[in-house]
Amino acid sequence: MITTIVVIGIIAVLAFWAVSIYNKLVALRNRYENGFAQIEVQLKRRYDLIPNLVETAKGYLSHERETLEAVIAARNQAMAGLQAAAADPSNASAIKELASAEGILGGALGRLNVVMEAYPDLKANENMMQLSEELTTTENKVAFARQAYNDQVTEYNSYRQSFPPIVFANMFGHGLDAELLEFADSEQIQEAPQVSFN
Amino acid sequence: MNFFQAQDTARRKTGQLVMLFGLAVITLILLTNVLVAVVVSWGGAQRGVAWQDAVAAVPIENWLAISLGVLGVIGVASVFKFVGLRGGGRSIAEALGGHLIHQTTTDRKERRLLNVVEEMAIASGVPVPPVYLIPEASINAFAAGFTVDDAVIGINQGTLDLLDRGELQGVVAHEFSHILNGDMNINLRLIAILHGILFVGMIGYGLLRSGGFSRRNGGALVALGVGLLIVGYGGTFFGNLIKAAVSRQREYLADASAVQFTRDPGGIADALKKIGGYSAGSSLDNPKAEESAHMFFGAAAPKFARSMMATHPPLEERILAIQPNWNGQFPYLGVTPGAMAEQAGVSAFSGPIEVQATPEQVVAQVGQPSPESVDVARTLIQDNPPDLKNAAHDQYMARALIYGMLIVQDGDTAQEQLRYLRARDEALVNDHLDTLLPQIHASAGAHRLTLFEMAVPALKEMSSAQYRRFDQNCAQLITIDKRVDLFEWVLHRLLIKEIKPHFDGPQIVRGRIKKIGRVESEAAHLLAVLASAGHADYDQQQKAYRAGADELALSVAFDYQEVFDFAQLNRALAKLRKLHPLTKPALIKAFASVVLADDHLSEDEGALLHGISATLDCPLPPSIYA
Repeated sequence: MITTIVVIGIIAVLAFWAVSIYNKLVALRNRYENGFAQIEVQLKRRYDLIPNLVETAKGYLSHERETLEAVIAARNQAMAGLQAAAADPSNASAIKELASAEGILGGALGRLNVVMEAYPDLKANENMMQLSEELTTTENKVAFARQAYNDQVTEYNSYRQSFPPIVFANMFGHGLDAELLEFADSEQIQEAPQVSFN
Repeated sequence: MNFFQAQDTARRKTGQLVMLFGLAVITLILLTNVLVAVVVSWGGAQRGVAWQDAVAAVPIENWLAISLGVLGVIGVASVFKFVGLRGGGRSIAEALGGHLIHQTTTDRKERRLLNVVEEMAIASGVPVPPVYLIPEASINAFAAGFTVDDAVIGINQGTLDLLDRGELQGVVAHEFSHILNGDMNINLRLIAILHGILFVGMIGYGLLRSGGFSRRNGGALVALGVGLLIVGYGGTFFGNLIKAAVSRQREYLADASAVQFTRDPGGIADALKKIGGYSAGSSLDNPKAEESAHMFFGAAAPKFARSMMATHPPLEERILAIQPNWNGQFPYLGVTPGAMAEQAGVSAFSGPIEVQATPEQVVAQVGQPSPESVDVARTLIQDNPPDLKNAAHDQYMARALIYGMLIVQDGDTAQEQLRYLRARDEALVNDHLDTLLPQIHASAGAHRLTLFEMAVPALKEMSSAQYRRFDQNCAQLITIDKRVDLFEWVLHRLLIKEIKPHFDGPQIVRGRIKKIGRVESEAAHLLAVLASAGHADYDQQQKAYRAGADELALSVAFDYQEVFDFAQLNRALAKLRKLHPLTKPALIKAFASVVLADDHLSEDEGALLHGISATLDCPLPPSIYA
C-alpha cells in the first residue's frame, strides 16, 4: 500500500511538473507574439510613410523613376512579408522573409537617399523634412521594439532548449525555435537614419 | 464600506477561505480512509473474514501513509498552481490567450478602451494597468493580479465591439472596484486552492484508466480510482460552492462601487442588459476559463445561472439592484451587431473644481474615485502638451519622458546627465529629449506625476533586458549629482512600486502591525519630512507637525529635516507598509493634517503625498494633490 501511495505521489509531482512546463511554454510564446505585434505597429507606420515620401520626391526626381519604383516595389514586398509574419509569428520562414524584404527596402531607401543628395531643393522641402524626420523616429522605434522582441524570443528559445522542457517541448507543440528578427542592415538602422538631411 | 474596510474584509475573507480549505482537506482525508476501509472489508468478505477484523488487520502506518499521501498531493498541486500564478495578473491573461493592446494602437475602439481605463486609473490614483484583449465574442471582462501594481484588465472582443463608451466605463469601473477592494488577491488564491482539491479527482481518473490495463491488482486499482474520483470531484463540488458564495457577494459590491465611481447607474445596467439580450451573452469558450470564472464581470457559464454553483448573481437581480424600476426587457442585439458610433470626444470638463479638502475628506477619498476625480483626471490628461502625451503612450519614447523628468533644469548637472545618456547605447533617446525636455520642464508637478502614471503600461511593454538598462539609467541620472531631491525620490519610489513588480513578480506585504505605537518613530519621521518640506519657517513647521502628531497621539518631538534624507525615509516607509489596513486611515489623516495645516498644498507636498500614499498602498485620487 505504501509503495502505491509513493508511486501515486511521484506521478502526481511529475504530472504537475509537466503541466507547469507546458503553461510556461505557452506564456513565453504568447509574450513574444505580443512583442511582434509591437513591431508590426511600427513597421506599418513606416510602410505608410514611404509612399508619401516617394510622392513628394517625384516632383523633383523625374529622371530617377527607377530608383523610386524600386523603393515602392521593395515597400510592397516588405508589406506582404509583414502580413505573412503577423499572421503567425512562430513561423520561422515568414520571419526570415520579412527580414530579407526589410533589408531590400533599407537598401532601396539608401540609394534614394544618395540620389536626393544631388537635389538641394528637395532637401529644403518642408514636407520632405517632416517626412524624413518621422521616418527616422519610426526606424528607431522599430529597432527598439525589435530588440524587445528578440529578447523575448531568446527567452522562449533558451527555456525550450533547457532540460527538462526539451523533453516535453516537441510533444506540447513547441518543437521549433522561434526565429530572431535580424535585419541585414540592422547596424545601419541603429547607427544612422536612412533618409537624412543634415 | 470604505477602502480600508474593504481591504480588511478581503483579508478576513482570505483567512476564512484558508480555514474552509483546511476543513475540506481534512474531510477529504477522512473520506479517502473510509474508502480504503470499504475496499479492504469488501476484500475480507470475499475471503470469508469479518469486515471488522479485515480493517483491524491493516497496520496503522498504512492509514497514516494514506492521509499523508492525500495531504501531499493537494499541497503539491496547490503550490504548483500558486507558483504558476506568481507572475501576477499577466500570467492569467496570457493563459486565457489574451493579446496585449499596445498603447500605440490606432484602432479606434481599442483607443477608446485604453482611454477609459487610463482615466479611471488616474482618477483612482493607481498605476494604469495593461489591457489584454481576449478573443471571445461574448461580453465579459476581468481584472487579475495580486496587487494594484501587477494588475491587468482583460476585455473580451465582444465587449469592445458591442458596448458604447458609458457602458464600457461602467464595466471598467466594476473591474477597478475588484482591483481596489483586494478581490483579485482572493480570486487568485481560490484558483490555487481549488486546483489542489480538483487534482485528487484527476489522479482517481488516471488510476481508473491505468487499472483497466493492469492484470494484477486491476480490480483494486479501479476501485481506488473510482473512489478518488468521487472524493476529488466531491471536494471540487464543495470547493466550487465556497468559490461561488464568495464571488457572488463581491459582484454585488463591485456593481455598487461601479455606480458610485461613475455616478451613472445607466452605464453598468445597460452593459448587463446587453449581456442578457446578446445571443453569446457572457459565456466563454476557452476551457481554461472555468477555473477563473469567478474573476469575470459576467457569468462564464450561464447554464447554472440560478444554482448554488453560480459564480455570479442572476443578471436580472444585478440589474434590479442597480435600477429598481427596470421593466425586465433586454435589448435584442442579435448575432452580429453593427458598429456603434463613438461618442464625440469626452464629456466637457465643467469648470475648475474646488478642492476644499479637510483631512477627513482626504481619508474618505482613498481608493474611492468619484465622478469629480474622473473629471480632474481627464483634465490632467488633456492639459498635457500632445508631444508629451504621445511620448507617454509610446514604448520607445516613454523612456525619454522619464529620463527627462529626472534631468534637472540648470547647467552643470544637466550637462553631465545628458552626457551620461549620450554615452549609453540608447543614444537615440537624446534626439527626443531635445524636443521633450523644454516641455517637461515647463509642466507642473501634478502633470508630471500624471504623465508618469500614463507611461506605466508603455514601460511595461519593454523586455526584461531593456527594463534593467532603463532602471540602471534612472538610478544613474538620480545620483549623478550625489544628492537625491524630493521629486527624484518620488519618481524612484513609483518606479520601484509600479514598474518593478511587472518584471520581478508582485511584492506582497502582509499588514500585521495593529498599533501605530509600535512604529512611533517611523511615523514621526514621515510627519517631520512632510512638515519640513511644505512650510517656510520653523514655527509653521512645528505647528504643522503638531497637527499630525496629535492625530496619532505621538509624543515624539519635532525634528527639523534640513536635508532630505531619502534612505531614512525609505526605511520608515518599509516599516509602515506592514501596518494593518484598519490603522492606515489614522496615518493618512495625520499626513493630510500636516500638509493642510496652512490650508495650502504646495507642489512638493502634493508629490510627497502621492509617493508616500502609493508606497503605503493607499491610492489617493489626483483631485487631492492636483
